[in-house]
Amino acid sequence: MNRRAFIQIRGITKTFGAVTANNNISLNICKGEIHALLGENGSGKSTLMNVLSGIYSPDSGSIFIDGKEVHFNSPKDSIKAGIGMIHQHFKLVEVLTAKENIIAGQKGSFFIGSKDLSRKIKDISEKFGLEIDPDKKVYNMSVGEKQTVEIIKVLYRGADILILDEPTAVLTPQETKRLFDILRKMKDAGCAVIIITHKLNEVMEISDRITVLRRGETVGTVNKNETNIRELTEMMVGRPIDLSIKRIEKNPRSPALQVKNLTVLNEDKRHALDNISFELSAGEILGVAGVAGSGQRELCEAIAGLYPVAGGEILFEGENIVGKNPREIIKMGISMSFIPEDRLGMGLVASMDMVDNFILKEYQNQKGFLIDRRPARKKAEQLVKKLDIKTPGVHYPVKLLSGGNIQKVLLGREIESNPHLLITAYPVRGLDIGSSYTIYDLLNEQKLKNVAILYIGEDLDVLLELCDRIMVLCEGRITGIVDARDTTKEQLGLMMAGEAISDGIGGGL
Amino acid sequence: MIFRIVKRAELSKKKAIAIRAAAIVLALVAAAVFIFALGRNPVDVYLSMLKGAFGSSYRFREIIIKAIPLTITSLGIAIAFKMKFWNIGAEGQIFMGAFAASLFALHFRDMQKPLMLLIMAAAGIIAGGLWALIPAFFKAQFGTNETLFTLMMNYIALKWVTYLQYGPWKDPASFGFPKVANFSDNAILPKVFGIHIGWIITLILIAAVYVFINRTKKGYEISVIGESENTARYAGMNVRKIILTAIFISGGICGLTGMIQASAVNNTLAVEVTGGVGFTAIITAWLGQLSAPIIFIVSFLFAALLQGGAYIQSAFQIPQAAAQIIQGTILFFVLGSEFFIQYRLVFKNEHPLKTKKEGA
Amino acid sequence: MSKKVISSVVALVMMLSLVLAGCGGSQAPAAKTEGTSTDKAPAASTNAKTDVKVGFIYVGPANDGGWSQAHDEGRKYLEEKLGVKTLYRENVPEGPECEKAITDLIDQGCNVIFTTSYGFMDPTEKVAKQYPNVKFFHCSGNKMAENMSNYFGKINEPRYLSGIVAGMKTKANKIGYVAAYETPEVISGINAFTLGVQSVNPNAKVIVKWTHTWIDAAKEKDAAIAALDEGCDVLAQHNDSPAPQIAAEQRGVWAIGYDIYNPQAAPKAYMTAPVFRWGPYYVEQVKAIMDGTWKASSYLGTMKDGVVDLGPLTSVAPEGAKEKVEAVKSKMLDGSFNVFSGPIKDQSGAVKVEAGKALTDQDVLSMMWFVQGVEGKIESK
Repeated sequence: MNRRAFIQIRGITKTFGAVTANNNISLNICKGEIHALLGENGSGKSTLMNVLSGIYSPDSGSIFIDGKEVHFNSPKDSIKAGIGMIHQHFKLVEVLTAKENIIAGQKGSFFIGSKDLSRKIKDISEKFGLEIDPDKKVYNMSVGEKQTVEIIKVLYRGADILILDEPTAVLTPQETKRLFDILRKMKDAGCAVIIITHKLNEVMEISDRITVLRRGETVGTVNKNETNIRELTEMMVGRPIDLSIKRIEKNPRSPALQVKNLTVLNEDKRHALDNISFELSAGEILGVAGVAGSGQRELCEAIAGLYPVAGGEILFEGENIVGKNPREIIKMGISMSFIPEDRLGMGLVASMDMVDNFILKEYQNQKGFLIDRRPARKKAEQLVKKLDIKTPGVHYPVKLLSGGNIQKVLLGREIESNPHLLITAYPVRGLDIGSSYTIYDLLNEQKLKNVAILYIGEDLDVLLELCDRIMVLCEGRITGIVDARDTTKEQLGLMMAGEAISDGIGGGL
Repeated sequence: MIFRIVKRAELSKKKAIAIRAAAIVLALVAAAVFIFALGRNPVDVYLSMLKGAFGSSYRFREIIIKAIPLTITSLGIAIAFKMKFWNIGAEGQIFMGAFAASLFALHFRDMQKPLMLLIMAAAGIIAGGLWALIPAFFKAQFGTNETLFTLMMNYIALKWVTYLQYGPWKDPASFGFPKVANFSDNAILPKVFGIHIGWIITLILIAAVYVFINRTKKGYEISVIGESENTARYAGMNVRKIILTAIFISGGICGLTGMIQASAVNNTLAVEVTGGVGFTAIITAWLGQLSAPIIFIVSFLFAALLQGGAYIQSAFQIPQAAAQIIQGTILFFVLGSEFFIQYRLVFKNEHPLKTKKEGA
Repeated sequence: MSKKVISSVVALVMMLSLVLAGCGGSQAPAAKTEGTSTDKAPAASTNAKTDVKVGFIYVGPANDGGWSQAHDEGRKYLEEKLGVKTLYRENVPEGPECEKAITDLIDQGCNVIFTTSYGFMDPTEKVAKQYPNVKFFHCSGNKMAENMSNYFGKINEPRYLSGIVAGMKTKANKIGYVAAYETPEVISGINAFTLGVQSVNPNAKVIVKWTHTWIDAAKEKDAAIAALDEGCDVLAQHNDSPAPQIAAEQRGVWAIGYDIYNPQAAPKAYMTAPVFRWGPYYVEQVKAIMDGTWKASSYLGTMKDGVVDLGPLTSVAPEGAKEKVEAVKSKMLDGSFNVFSGPIKDQSGAVKVEAGKALTDQDVLSMMWFVQGVEGKIESK
């Protein structure tokens, strides 16, 4: 890897109001390398890549491609320069086929030789090992297939610089492996690949060089071969951090939650959950793994009384709570807390302050028409101290807090009500490493207090380390409930892809 | 395009005030160009507008009389808007409130005055509330679009009052001119300090709505639903019930406007009873940021603008349309400034990188 | 160098101030004077000869090409003859807005008020009670008070004459009549017109189309088109805008105007129009107020007074019409002809006015039935 830099980024600065997202960032990317851009949320990775793909104009700094300075005023300019960006959220037209999506927005004659096009797509596919049916409609595709279409789309447009923003977030381990194979082939073909991620294992697996960003600044660029996860973490966080999650060994007591033959239909009357049964004991953390959209949301919301149940029973400490709305569940004296995935859209009221968000769950217990905010304010102030929530004050809108602090507010409020059951959906999504570990600690603390915890997660490593047992969902069905102590990531991956493990260990099937 | 529109993150209060002030200055300058084109002296016209609005106790009273329906209706609209229920139907709710109040006023001509007025007010509130409840019910039940629904309901209400005025309720004593008979004195709101007591009702309502939104459980629930229905359901709120209640209150307050206008201003039911307030109040409710005290200030200033505009029309003998263009220009800039408080323009240079670098 | 700059700045400032002063002085006298007269307004009318300020309330734009314009011409005539200051408000709706418009004008110093639409009657009466020292004139109504006159013109006479023109012109024997509201004023006008039509063409029908507005060019045009679609080849109107005349011209047929004489509105269609000339009446009344001799009255101006008239016949008018019109007009002027003299039948054919008898002015002011030959319905009861 002694080639000269193909892309040179020099001193890019980009500010949004008072926030400096990128501060004098410089980095070089060569042809034929996979370059990982590593950093926590808010470290400026996405901003930098948006600058590179012409979506943002930098306040200062310059970009050189192949030695020539370029100025991007729009994504069009960057596409012309050979840069292709695969966004985290795919930008495909659902009702069109793969082929139609690939040519959409392309300049050229109105009528396109379908044969020529198919051949070109086939050429690209074969070259990089991309498998795709050009005539398949996007809405019939899996997430992995959609991503493949996105990749072909940018290659079709002649991109030789590929930027992927958190490409593995939505993939199973197997799909991830396939994606990495593709990326390696592209590297071999001389493309420059930039991958944005915060998953250290993947970085070590796929990249050649790694640039770490922290708080909008470049911390440094290292060769993969000359570094390790510990060093990278320290670069990311800025201080050494203990990366092991300790699992508190504890003998689970009586079952707190029993789900029996639960079936839930989604808006399209399709089975979001299909006849699932499991148990969760007090003092246990049950992890739920699965590709996004396998029924996790419906499961949480059904238990919390927010989603209509088509069949089956949900027994909470022996009492069936199916058909009850959250208010009735609260009234029944059932202390269940739900930390929804959508923190600001469901768990909290984004534009309200901490005090008003604390009232949310308890105002109905107050007497009379008027609301007394004093107790909530007191609690909020206590919590700020206890959980070290960084906020200018308890009257500051929660949406303006950082992700970690928002989660602390939400989790703090829920824990404050001393629940017996805690349902947490992706509680560390979008949080930096430090905050994530705070959350794990908080959950373990609750486990010690004999709280039954349902943990919906996405990072398999975390699931394996934190949980007692892991339940795997695939398309609304349970493909296995395994003991976290003797299960591997590969096994979980297979189950996530739909392969039922017949000899489920310690399962509740 | 040489510029893009970008949403502002947060704006300091000082800057927001500066933008608004700049908007007013620009408005006066732009309108001045127009006034100059009409062959008048802008300074004279503006001074005269001020004088026309505040120059005598009579004019001040007229502003209050105009501000009353504007404020009350804006308060009603604000409750619905707080919940992100786009109630564009205030006009119709005013009509129905006026209609229900008139129903009693016209049929019980001998009832005791206080009782009569109380019944009329209750009828107005209930009718306005029920009229608003129809689209709310369909929204809660079938998810219909309340914006179009409430808008269309306005025309039904308007045509209903038109029908009454031109048909069954036409005053036989008016020789065929389509006009409903005037209320008898027992159905007309009394005056205090030369202005009908609608102004007292307005002050009470401002306080009541302020407390309702900020201090009561219902008000809190409305705010939560306005922010996110999911959160409301998550917190165990009965979203449907809250929507229906809030919209009933919203429509009821608008209906009360109808009663006040029919009783104190028109002394009868007429198609002119709303005076377009139901639509104007949408603007004032927005400009008032859905906050009761600010709504009052905005409505008052708005009424002053109307009063001043009417004044210059006769003082300078300029056509009504021209006077309205001046008012409209001022309003345009003020409303436009709200856009710039939320968004900003980013101008793109040919070479943003280079120029910035040179500057630095 | 710097001296030059300073001197040019000074010059500029001086020029600007001159311009501003000029504007202020010449173009905004209303604003300048009204401050003083406002406070004196109620007292002014009792003694001072000159301190009269006259306010007018119009239902449409002052230049509507019809009714309001006729009044506005009267206002200008008044200003010219007596040199009094006048103000007006246009586009005032017939409701509480009218009350406000009147009081606004009083607030701006007016002590004589003319309200020029039927629907302004009740608001005028109400305000008149509150301002006993201000003199009020309401046009086309029937209410009166110590400080409130009503006035109107016997427009039915020229309407009858315009009916003669229309009756002679129509070949289809169908004449459209675009009319505002079912009030006695409008109904008697339709009747007078129809009687005129039938005096020369007993087979012709008058088809009434209601607009339910005094002035709304769009609605008036719609009503006109509806009449034209039914085969009418002459249009007459009791609405304030020239829209029906323009509609007739577009179809290549003919029209009778109203309120003011304005053939330019539709030169190929315009035959004539019954018109108002309010100027002399306004001058006479305001003069009486200035002299202190004024008393409230109910006035119905005639052709003889010059308040109403039929405009000159244009070249599109039928041949021989002029002679016919002149003959009847001279009888009207000498008082030997009454439009509503019997025998007159109503739509059902029943005799309403027997031969040898005639309707009184009072009968006409409460007329709520159509004569034979009118096709249309009075929907009010």
